[in-house]
Amino acid sequence: MDQLYIPVLGLIFQEASDGRLAKAIDGVKHPDLSKFLVIAAILFIIGVAGVLTRRNLLVIFMSIELILNAANLNFIAFSRYLQESGTGNPMAGQIFTVFIIVVAAAEAAIGLGIVIALYRNRETIWIDEIDLMKW
Amino acid sequence: MILSGWETVFFWIFSITAILAGLLTVMARNAVHSALFLISSLVSVGALFILLGAEFIAGVQILVYVGGVMVLFLFVIMLVNVGAEEEGRAPMFHRPLQVATALLFSLLLVLGLLNAINRAFGGPKDKEQAEQTAIARGAREQTLQTGATGVSRLSTETERVGNSLYTYASLPFEIASLLLLVAIIGSVMLARTLKQEAAADDVDPEVSLTAAGMQEMEGQG
Repeated sequence: MDQLYIPVLGLIFQEASDGRLAKAIDGVKHPDLSKFLVIAAILFIIGVAGVLTRRNLLVIFMSIELILNAANLNFIAFSRYLQESGTGNPMAGQIFTVFIIVVAAAEAAIGLGIVIALYRNRETIWIDEIDLMKW
Repeated sequence: MILSGWETVFFWIFSITAILAGLLTVMARNAVHSALFLISSLVSVGALFILLGAEFIAGVQILVYVGGVMVLFLFVIMLVNVGAEEEGRAPMFHRPLQVATALLFSLLLVLGLLNAINRAFGGPKDKEQAEQTAIARGAREQTLQTGATGVSRLSTETERVGNSLYTYASLPFEIASLLLLVAIIGSVMLARTLKQEAAADDVDPEVSLTAAGMQEMEGQG
């Protein structure tokens, strides 16, 4: 396998030395905790960007769900890591995730109730038109 | 924690799906499409949970998020009129300067996070350790009870989560039940119309208002 990967990737990354490239390929073939953290970080950033850039209130709520989900992924990854390293309480991560899901469900119910009440009063869900408390 | 073999393949499939679906959630013009992409992102993250050995959390994720929260979202999207955005008349994003600033800060955040993760984990572990972990996990799984079909083995993960939930986290568990009660009452109160409120009080809001006003005037007089 390595004989196949290294020349192809070596063409793309000219300056990468052989040792570093082999290490990177090994990282792709054997993902560890850091890969899960990177995935969770990317999901988190996508959520933050969605909250900051979108005008639609409902899509902003969905981005918040994405952020919470990224946090869940981190918790579960660390839970598994602790199970294998044998330190700390390995179940703590999973318990935290259960409570985050509970809070997310409550938040969605309340938030969508607010959206409906707002739409009934203001006839809009664009957040730049909801500026009653802005001076 | 090092994955190997088929786990690696599924890890990359589901993580790339989760990220692409997450991106499309933010980029989709139609809010219903956004919700559907978010569902696929949540399902992919649920699959990553199974990969990490948290089957119970994966089940809860599918049931609560996809089955409950996202259906609620779809209902609200149907209730609220978003026609102008779908037809392309209204802009999806804020003004360009605001978007540029937001993306700049997101970029700074991603660079900081990736730098921190890189620094904490100075490169991948060697193969021997990966193989050892895989062997240890295989040995641990051999001690588990076999399922009814005799093909797979029963995981005790759910049992452990339940035990921890009632011992280690019993107080937060009770508080969570109270939170859900408050959320139910709160959302019912928020979604009521003025008419329904009047019906609940058995008095017309205008009548009760005039009655209060008259009492106030009498008090002043």
